[in-house]
Amino acid sequence: MIASTGPYFQDAISTLISLLTLFSFLAVTVLSLVWLERKALGRLQLRLGPTRTGPFGLLQPIADAVKLVLKEDIVPNEAEKVIFWVAPIIVVISAFMLWVTIPLTPSIVVQNLENMGLFYVGAVGVIGILGLVLAGWGSANKYGVIGGLRAAAQLISYEIPLIMVFVSIAIVTQTFNLVEIVNLQSPVPFILVLPLGFVLFFVSGLAEVGRTPFDIYFAESEIVGGPFVEYSGAHWAVFFLSEYINTFAIATLTVLLFLGGWSGPFLPSIVWLLIKIYAVILLIFWIRGTLPRLRIDQLMAFAWKVMVPLSFYLVVCCSIYVFYGLPWWALTVMSIFGLGVVGVIIYQYITAPARKVAEVRERLRLLQMSQEE
Amino acid sequence: MMQDQQDNQTIDMMLNMGPQHPSTHGVFRMELRIDGEKIIDVKPHIGYLHRGSEKLSEGEQYHQIITLFDRMDYLANFNNELVYCMAVERLLDMEPSKRTEYIRVILCELNRIASHLLYVGTIGLDAGAMTPALFSFIGRDRIQTLFESISGARMMHNYFKIGGLKQEVPDDFVRMVKDIMPVIRRDIDQTEKLLTFNEIFLSRTKDIGVITAEQAIDYGLTGPCLRGSGINYDVRKSEPYSVYQDFDFDVPVGLDGDCWDRHWVRVKEMHESLRIIEQAIDKLPDGDVASPLGRRLIRPSEGEVYVKAENPRGEIGVYLVSDGTDKPYRLKVRPPSFCNLSAIQLLLQNSWVADSVVILGSLDIVLGEVDR
Amino acid sequence: MLSTVKGMIQTLSSTWRGLRKPVTKLYPENPTVLQNRFMGFPGLTWDKDIDEPFCTGCMVCIRNCPTQCMTATMKDNPKFADESSKRRKIVDEFEINLNRCILCGICVDVCNFDAIVMTHEHEESGSYRDGSRMKLDGLLEIGGKYQTQSGWKPAPKD
Repeated sequence: MIASTGPYFQDAISTLISLLTLFSFLAVTVLSLVWLERKALGRLQLRLGPTRTGPFGLLQPIADAVKLVLKEDIVPNEAEKVIFWVAPIIVVISAFMLWVTIPLTPSIVVQNLENMGLFYVGAVGVIGILGLVLAGWGSANKYGVIGGLRAAAQLISYEIPLIMVFVSIAIVTQTFNLVEIVNLQSPVPFILVLPLGFVLFFVSGLAEVGRTPFDIYFAESEIVGGPFVEYSGAHWAVFFLSEYINTFAIATLTVLLFLGGWSGPFLPSIVWLLIKIYAVILLIFWIRGTLPRLRIDQLMAFAWKVMVPLSFYLVVCCSIYVFYGLPWWALTVMSIFGLGVVGVIIYQYITAPARKVAEVRERLRLLQMSQEE
Repeated sequence: MMQDQQDNQTIDMMLNMGPQHPSTHGVFRMELRIDGEKIIDVKPHIGYLHRGSEKLSEGEQYHQIITLFDRMDYLANFNNELVYCMAVERLLDMEPSKRTEYIRVILCELNRIASHLLYVGTIGLDAGAMTPALFSFIGRDRIQTLFESISGARMMHNYFKIGGLKQEVPDDFVRMVKDIMPVIRRDIDQTEKLLTFNEIFLSRTKDIGVITAEQAIDYGLTGPCLRGSGINYDVRKSEPYSVYQDFDFDVPVGLDGDCWDRHWVRVKEMHESLRIIEQAIDKLPDGDVASPLGRRLIRPSEGEVYVKAENPRGEIGVYLVSDGTDKPYRLKVRPPSFCNLSAIQLLLQNSWVADSVVILGSLDIVLGEVDR
Repeated sequence: MLSTVKGMIQTLSSTWRGLRKPVTKLYPENPTVLQNRFMGFPGLTWDKDIDEPFCTGCMVCIRNCPTQCMTATMKDNPKFADESSKRRKIVDEFEINLNRCILCGICVDVCNFDAIVMTHEHEESGSYRDGSRMKLDGLLEIGGKYQTQSGWKPAPKD
């Protein structure tokens, strides 16, 4: 009897160890991201960023974490206590569960789910929405309710293009195995094969993690933090943690699916992977430092009128490619064609106010000219 | 349960925005009645920053009231000091020297730029862009440092005196002003690239919060809010005060009366202010800036006067009644922010919750002036 | 779309500028550069020729203060008796509530004896409630500090 449970027991122990390793890796990553974001945004805005804590303010995230954990954890009187407590846990667990199958190299992975990998990522990623809605509802705050409902609308809408991109990649590669997908990219990374897929994935990824210009569900200047408005102390820290883990996950998936993963010359594969991930993350921070925020109706219109049709178009393209066995650049051409056509539509859509402005200014100029005469 | 099913209809939600809210520009409170994300009605509440400036003025001597005006619209201190000094000067029937007037105009226009730079930053924050705020503060900080070297204070200057200035400007005044011009130009260009013509910002502000010209006049809007609706009314042009008739400048006018037009008018106004400053610096006459009144107690003869001027926020009016003593009998201010804010109910109806902060930001209110 | 790209390039160039020369300065290491005319808390000046304060306690600043933040009393000047000083009266007690002071500089304008100046002192703090009430010796101290720092001289008599 003991002999029969032996291998399972060993398996459980090794999984536990790798989960703990994963947890500490992610915690360190989050700390580095917090520091990097504050420092990068600071320099972008001609500021210094954190400087007081350690050299270059490197210990700032640790100071933040200590402060947050030691802070009083306030639960509003009117709040649904259970929901209020459970919501952050749901969010953070879904954020962590995502990482079970994401490989950092072919060998560094908790449990490669073989042909379930991408499917699992798509499925688990949705759970976090529930936590946000519950957090908004449970905190008995109107801003929280608005934020939670916004989160539900936004995240579910953008989940569709995200999953459709997964599907098209699965069609092209004929596998859900993330390691396989990365290995198939060795001559040509998928950003060249599926540029449209990359754009779709990156944009909806930004929306999924609520990064500017899609930081609508916790918009500080409108609904003062949305679902997180009543949270403080350790609970808020948990939300914070999961937000950064999700950002890191989206960057990692972008790298794995489109940028060739860990492949690269000279350096060890894990270093290549981290370089690529941090490059994508810096891009996300750069966008945050530049753009204003969209409005909820514009965001939803963008999702359902642009992103969702485009993602279906991508799936159709990939099917045609696989069915007729075309060369890989045919998919690029189709992809760029779709990107071009819809790009023009988006351009028309998004620059309608700009064109109106130009028109108005022209009218104004003519008016002034006539006045001068 | 049965009851729930029977009247299964939605009801409006009351959302209390402010006074502790990051985007109400101070302690302004709005009671929003919302249906989903649509605003049905709004009930503004003001008065959280009421300090009784008008009543306090009745107990202060004429030269002390300048400090109260500094604190009324705390982003345009020089402009406020100017309108009060003009009012008392008209009561006393005196004219300050030309040099005084020119220096006053230069400082007022610099202050207008500083105020509009702050506006550009805050509308960016309201729309969700954090970088323009920090960029525009670079120029604003330079302007305030200039103010500090002239008047000794960065915000509450108390530099304009009745009939003159507190003291002569520093020797390198002209050089300092010329030095900060390129900095301000660069800041305005940066904000134009980052915000004014940014597509997302355009889609957030164009055709949002529209007020037509007729409505704008009915509500008594002035300043950029009125000019954004297409009415060419600027006190500096229509009834020139101080020495504004000496300068060549345009009054930028919008067409649609939406948030973006108000924004654009302000950005253009900064360029026009720079033009005025350049001309004034070139023409700066020599002379004495000290007040002919000296340290004498100011005791105007009985009478009343109404003086108006163009503040960064609109037309400010001061109604001053003197009963012949050293303190005014009555002082009434027509604050531009307060009148502009009165249109909030009209502007917010049928807009989105997210737009409410942008619309409020585009009105550019200062609560210190609304509540006085 | 074009303007968004322009904005991205703008922020990229500003990042480069920020990496080389950020605008922000660390505060205590690089103290704020005060302009010559900076108006900090008011202080009383010291007449070094006669070794007594300029202030006679004439109350003109107190009457002109918009916030009534000061009080003063005067006494007979002992140095006037032995004819080492021309001042018949001299300040006995002087107190400024720095919490009420709005740094407007009116007291300096109205003073007939150049006895009060706006010093460069602006980093005062206290840990008890009455700490903001500055008495005569404190005022003379910050005034004297300002005198030596800026080479302040009383205005020449007409």
